Amino acid sequence: MLYGLVFFPMIMSLPVWLIGKRHKKARNIAAAAVTLLELAMATALLWMPDMNASIGGVAGLGIRLETDGFRKVYLIVIAFLWSMTMLLGNEYFSHYETCNRYYFFNLMTLGATVGVFLAADLFTALIFFEIMSFTSYTWVIQEETDSAIKAANTYLAVAVIGGLAALMGIFLLQDQLHTTAISELYNAAKAAPEKGCLYIAGACILFGFGAKAGMFPLHIWLPKAHPVAPAPASALLSGLLTKSGIFGILVLSCNLFRNDPVWGSVILCLGLITMLLGALLALFSIDLKRTLACSSVSQIGFILTGIGMMGLLGAENALAARGTLLHMLNHSLFKLVLFMSAAVVYMNLHQLDLNDIRGFGRKKPLLMITFLLGAAGIGGVPLLNGYVSKTLLHESIVEFTEILHESGSPTFFMHAAEWIFLISGGITVAYMTKLFVALFVEKHPSRQAEFDARTKYMNPVSAFALLISAIALPALGVTANISMNAIADLGTDFFRAGALEHSVHYLSWENLRGGLISILIGAALYFGVVRTVLIRKKDGGSEYVNLWPAWLDLEELLYRPLLLKWLPGLLGPTAALFGQNRLTAPAANAVVKAGEKTAMLFGENQLTAPAAKAVVRAGEETAKLFGENRISGPAASALVRIQEIASHAFSDLLDAAVFLLRKIVFKKLIPPDADGERNTLSYRIGRSIDRIAVRQGTEKEGERRYANLFHRGTKTLKDTTRSISGTLSFALLFLVLAITAVFIYIIIMRG
Amino acid sequence: MNNLILILMLILPFAGGITLGCMKKASKPAADIIFTSVLALEAVLTLGYLFLPDAEIRLFSMTEQLTVRLKTDSVGRIFLSIGAFGFLPAGIYATKYMAHGERQTSFYSWMLLSLGALVGMDSSENLITMYLFFELATLLSVPLVLHDRTEESIRAALKYLFYSIGGAFLALLAVFVLGAHTETLAFAAGGTLNSSAAEHRVLIEIVTFLGVIGFGAKAGLYPLHGWLPSAHPVAPAPASAVLSAIIAKAGVLAITRLVFYIVGTEFLRGTWVQITWISLALLTVFMGSMMAYREDVFKKRLAYSSVSQISYILTGLFCMTSESIAGGFLHVIFHACIKSCLFLVAGSFIVNLGKTKVSELRGVGKAMPITLWSFTIAALGLIGIPPAAGFVSKWYLALGALDSGLKVINWLAPVILLVSALLTAAYLLPITIAGFFPGKDFVSPQRTNEGTARMWLPIAILGAMTLILGIFAGGLTNWVMNLAESLI
Repeated sequence: MLYGLVFFPMIMSLPVWLIGKRHKKARNIAAAAVTLLELAMATALLWMPDMNASIGGVAGLGIRLETDGFRKVYLIVIAFLWSMTMLLGNEYFSHYETCNRYYFFNLMTLGATVGVFLAADLFTALIFFEIMSFTSYTWVIQEETDSAIKAANTYLAVAVIGGLAALMGIFLLQDQLHTTAISELYNAAKAAPEKGCLYIAGACILFGFGAKAGMFPLHIWLPKAHPVAPAPASALLSGLLTKSGIFGILVLSCNLFRNDPVWGSVILCLGLITMLLGALLALFSIDLKRTLACSSVSQIGFILTGIGMMGLLGAENALAARGTLLHMLNHSLFKLVLFMSAAVVYMNLHQLDLNDIRGFGRKKPLLMITFLLGAAGIGGVPLLNGYVSKTLLHESIVEFTEILHESGSPTFFMHAAEWIFLISGGITVAYMTKLFVALFVEKHPSRQAEFDARTKYMNPVSAFALLISAIALPALGVTANISMNAIADLGTDFFRAGALEHSVHYLSWENLRGGLISILIGAALYFGVVRTVLIRKKDGGSEYVNLWPAWLDLEELLYRPLLLKWLPGLLGPTAALFGQNRLTAPAANAVVKAGEKTAMLFGENQLTAPAAKAVVRAGEETAKLFGENRISGPAASALVRIQEIASHAFSDLLDAAVFLLRKIVFKKLIPPDADGERNTLSYRIGRSIDRIAVRQGTEKEGERRYANLFHRGTKTLKDTTRSISGTLSFALLFLVLAITAVFIYIIIMRG
Repeated sequence: MNNLILILMLILPFAGGITLGCMKKASKPAADIIFTSVLALEAVLTLGYLFLPDAEIRLFSMTEQLTVRLKTDSVGRIFLSIGAFGFLPAGIYATKYMAHGERQTSFYSWMLLSLGALVGMDSSENLITMYLFFELATLLSVPLVLHDRTEESIRAALKYLFYSIGGAFLALLAVFVLGAHTETLAFAAGGTLNSSAAEHRVLIEIVTFLGVIGFGAKAGLYPLHGWLPSAHPVAPAPASAVLSAIIAKAGVLAITRLVFYIVGTEFLRGTWVQITWISLALLTVFMGSMMAYREDVFKKRLAYSSVSQISYILTGLFCMTSESIAGGFLHVIFHACIKSCLFLVAGSFIVNLGKTKVSELRGVGKAMPITLWSFTIAALGLIGIPPAAGFVSKWYLALGALDSGLKVINWLAPVILLVSALLTAAYLLPITIAGFFPGKDFVSPQRTNEGTARMWLPIAILGAMTLILGIFAGGLTNWVMNLAESLI
């Protein structure tokens, strides 16, 4: 059964692809059937006892799969999202030329994602994680536009680097603990002699999985990849693939670092930053899918906050654990609804800029209701599912504050965390309102009539998928005490959560207050910031403007220069020094100093002097505005040149030595190109044959055909002999050198 | 029975090579048939031999001490298999690749002769025999590099000759000195040093060190790696494939024999010799990847990549833990498969599309989908992405290095291996990306242009093998692990 879940879609991808070469319709039906069957299998699993399975020897160590409550829930979520996007995708892709490969890789990715969530050890998780990264790469590059290719490269780089980092972490774990089985990690870690090494391993794995999850500072691929990928794929990337990263972090947090406050606070800090940063990015964005992508970053921050709280709360982590699980689930569902709505917009208009698509949703009640449910859900409006999970997360922060307060420890940090949490929630409300108002309330300045006339904007299958997905949100929210509590109970084993001390009354005033504060902040932000600052009057109308400074992009600012310019050199430390200090204030000074030094170094040289000056100037600019990108350019490329040359010089050292020897020692081996060669035997023989030829009448007087021929032959022969003898002499030279070295050594030792 | 098969395996390629060499005027189909059938027969014999007990044959003796004997053990079987199974696809490919070139039969004959020398080397019983066949393999494979007879190829061939012979002389010194300090020069796991060895510890350390550097010339170990990036790109693609995937591995075998079967790990572990070897190997790993990353000519990029990858193997051997050695041997097999595939792909691009540079390969996947798919899988294997083959070997290499107990190296080695893997991704994957996703403005060709089945089928098989070997690596891994444990 478990194999079936993983390998059935992978195997079916090939027939689906082959069918797709002939019949598009048949392919669509087949692909949807595969995903629906997968959904049926995943649902059936819910009534089966926990299982495990293993195949020995695959990729060396063998893969091992297992299920428990949490995994079962998530398998259903995966299969559900996949089926819904597949149903919608049939209409979305109907005008695409090269979408057959999308179906192939889509099913491959389904199998791999299921594999990640079923993995019983980190080794297996990593294998499926890598397969998933590479197959989902094709989604991002599907459109093959310049921006898609660039985003896809970013995605691939993050995937490869993250994968290798995770691999390094797993090496370290295997070396230290001799196991990567998830259930054994906790006890093995307890018995481990060196704790420090485990943290390094944990950091490496966190890097790898965090990159996929979209955790700060590795979130860079999300805002780029989602807008360019086809919308059904964006829903999966955002709703599920990021969760596979979270899955990896959960494995560490719930097992290797169970109840570890140090680990917990690191994750909490990263979570808070991710949460706030993502929300801000989303608020500023004016692209529908980009906003949703940034929103994903922010929501991942919420989930990470929950994971961090689990570590801090120790044994009393029930609230945090339940909140984390439910928010993962809820976020998958929100993003499904929202990205599918975006897909509907895109397949009608082929545009995503808010200024171009505003007003599209007017007089389209179905689209409006689904989008509103998604937006309100993610905004944490009571009676929808998002409110429940956010309340639990909020409660866990409050609970920890109280614990700290009782023990007399300072609570300032936790208060700050609580406010960041509430403010991020407020920003979420603000940007979702911005999207909703733009799409469904405002009118397009010129095309509104055309938009309103489009009453057939999606086919019934797509409408069905959209509706089913959207209904799930209030259904879960209203029945929270039954449905969501039951789901949370299923996760207790995997999360190693403690017992819940008292049941949570989601609609009590205490809990409603937190939600309302966020909504009020959101309203204030929307009217205070979005409507005043982010919308500008123009020609009597108004338009959305993107005020996020273009240079403030971690990827262009830091990662690309670091990876493409600095690291390729051998002088890694210098480069890293340059690169890492960039974001801190003292770094600016260091950069200027380094620039000056470089200038001094190059100063005497007429050729490079201008370049060096440019470096200094750039460095000064950095000092003023230390985020700017220009300093790295010339200096970095100069350094890379030097390093490349050094690398070659290093490599060709021996050839150079030989060349030198040829010029010095073996110079005499090469005889002067004497005229005397004319007197050689071959020449004479040639001359005589020539004479004979003249007598015979086959050749004219004075020509020296045979003489020249023989001469050339002799020359070639001599050259070749010389080359070979030269080569052999070098070999002998080596022998002599080696023997000499040995003798010198023996003499010294004897003496 | 097994003796007979072994002797047949040795004689068959020589006989075939000499026959082809004598029939310069033979018609092309006849030469093709003789060539491929010899290779196929050799592969069948090797396959059969893998299930037979070890054979032992004395060919002749020069003096009482210096005998030329053949015997195969587990390590020999690894190298015998990569030889026979690696030459077969390259050979089939060559019948099409070389079809329009000159001197086709002589190319075939030198291929077979090289294979013969390698078989002899793989099944040598003692150091003297191995040394003889090592030199023979060098001399017989020079014409492969020389094949085009351009000035560049002649220069590269001479460079190859110089490095290999020079290296072999260094190794000869080791043979002489070790002859005096061992019980016997016959290979025995754990070494055969005699009681006088302890007294002359430093001398033995020095000659062993030099010997490994010398044999390392063949394997592309720094500082004698220089011939590899010159010779591989100028040879015809099938020759580059076997040079890089199989003949260069002769250096690995020679080093294995010298380190594990003559001197022994006990004598070397923890000495400056081991540290220096590992440092040189790691330097080569990094340098090779770095240079490959900056190289635009496709075959040259692959040659630099070989420099880097073969030093992965050497790093594993030099770390001297069971896991790292097992990783090294696994990488011998996987790299042979992957690099053959990659070089044949490079050849297909040259023959079918006339493209030699990486920067020209945009949209190549539209014209040659099967070829580029195989390339992609092989590339993923070389980077070490699970479940492709390279992942398994790198897993054991890194774990072994972590376990080596050497300060600094135990963490530096895995880090360098991973950084190099990153560079590998950076120099291979852009070809796939530009090949399959050339961008909207690219005009796809009307028809695919893969060449005949004799070209794409070997490539596809090697690509598929990369995946199959990786997925079903369990049995092989256990077998290699047992072998590695017997060596230390």
